[in-house]
Amino acid sequence: MSGNLLYRQPILRRPDGVGGALPALTLITLFFVVPVVALLLRSVTEPVPGLQNYAILFGDGTYARVFFNTFLVATVVTAVTVIVAFPVAWMLAIMPPALGSIVFGIIILSMWTNLLTRTYAWMVLLQRTGVINRTLMDIGLISEPLPLINNLTGVTIGMVYIMLPFMILPLVGTLRAIDPMTLRAAALCGASPFDAFRRILLPLSLPGIAAGGLMVFVMSLGYFVTPTLLGGTSNMMLAAMIAQMIQSLLNWGLGSAAAFILLLVTMALYALQLRLVGAKRMTGGI
Amino acid sequence: MLLDYDRLGWLRAALLGFTGLIAAFLLLPVVFIVLLSFGSSRWLAFPPPGWTLKWYEELFADPAWLEAALTSARIATMAAILAVLIGLLASFALVRGQFRGRNTLRGLLLTPMVLPVVVFAIAIYAFFLRIGLGGTTAGFVIAHTVLALPFAIIPITAALEGFDKSIEDAAIVCGASPFEAKLRVTLPAIKIGIFSAAIFAFLASWDEVVVAIFMASPTLQTLPVKIWGSLRQDLSPVIAAASSLLVLLTLSLMIVTALIRRKLSK
Repeated sequence: MSGNLLYRQPILRRPDGVGGALPALTLITLFFVVPVVALLLRSVTEPVPGLQNYAILFGDGTYARVFFNTFLVATVVTAVTVIVAFPVAWMLAIMPPALGSIVFGIIILSMWTNLLTRTYAWMVLLQRTGVINRTLMDIGLISEPLPLINNLTGVTIGMVYIMLPFMILPLVGTLRAIDPMTLRAAALCGASPFDAFRRILLPLSLPGIAAGGLMVFVMSLGYFVTPTLLGGTSNMMLAAMIAQMIQSLLNWGLGSAAAFILLLVTMALYALQLRLVGAKRMTGGI
Repeated sequence: MLLDYDRLGWLRAALLGFTGLIAAFLLLPVVFIVLLSFGSSRWLAFPPPGWTLKWYEELFADPAWLEAALTSARIATMAAILAVLIGLLASFALVRGQFRGRNTLRGLLLTPMVLPVVVFAIAIYAFFLRIGLGGTTAGFVIAHTVLALPFAIIPITAALEGFDKSIEDAAIVCGASPFEAKLRVTLPAIKIGIFSAAIFAFLASWDEVVVAIFMASPTLQTLPVKIWGSLRQDLSPVIAAASSLLVLLTLSLMIVTALIRRKLSK
């Protein structure tokens, strides 16, 4: 092909070689890789060289509780998000477009609205004298306000709210890619709707569920804003603890050791996700 | 039959009902905050005892809010422009380049989207303190460009992958220089991708809270930092007023995006 011939000439090949990536590579190396590596080095050099920061983190019950809280919340949030997102994505995949575009519009509006705005709304909605407690008391379901904020319940509600679009949107793609004929065939062969769901629809959507669920889990592990505002001080999660160690306690050694643990877990799960869906699919996601 | 909308039977009613419920759940905080911003109760009672515009008056009377919004707009615009330019160049290399480690490079450039932002925030905070960029506009722009870059690269590489390169080759064979061919053939063809990149990159900076909290100085505050500061003090209705304006901005952005996408795809 003549195109190939042209691109063998160095002068035509150069713009599409690695050269174009140099500004991006420089930016990321200088202002991302170097600062992060420098931070992680502090975890084994401050206050004195050694692994004492990690020994403190793993040896102290207070920190163990923060790690436990973080994994607990991320697990619960992921489970709830997957269960809630699946039926919605299922409907969105097959709904008439006119109706579907309204639901899509609401999802995008929620997703694009300022994160602090959404969290603020939940702070007001969930407080002791908030609308939810008032309504429940007015209709007589409860006599005392439920503790919905400054605990893990509040964090879970707020986090599920934020994560739902990230689970629904990719799942719609997965479900749309399934050929409806396979399910028609199942019905013709006598499968009950429940059997068709359990043995065909669910297994075929499993890759999408796994990829989306993993993404939600990873994002939840390192989330800072919502857990900090809805969780209160006694239910600290890992990201908030790291910020506090640096900002208020100025303990850079301990803070960067905790950051390293978060980074390691995140990157391991990210690698797993890449293997699951492939880098191509990930980058074509938007 | 489970994927045939018209033949779902009773399941359809159940699924539609559930979808409606979740849509309401997603809409609830947004609508609630807008209603609250017009309510007259300082203690955020709902439904409000009366309606008022005083929270908006209070918001506009305090120059710190407007200043923070302008700072955010300035930083987000610069970060978005830089991220799109750098991302565009990188996308050509990532999609068309023939070099070893291309997938690794792609993974590396997308990492800022995956790494928990709190880790990056303290890292860049420490780094900028050392090199004297802490609390400066330049520091903000650089940090936000790093975070926005993946959001620029993803839609541009997707658009570029969908573009048939032989059209660009044809322009070169017809006498255009490679640069000219890219500028006048390829770029117009992937403009929707570039436009999405600009929107996502802008929002990535505009909405960014964590890096901003660490980087902010008393004289340099973005809007999220200002909201964060107010939230930690009390749940004043002025925040509801500011939030409602942000919702309005999101809505306008969605409408503009839809219109431009429709126009561009013609």
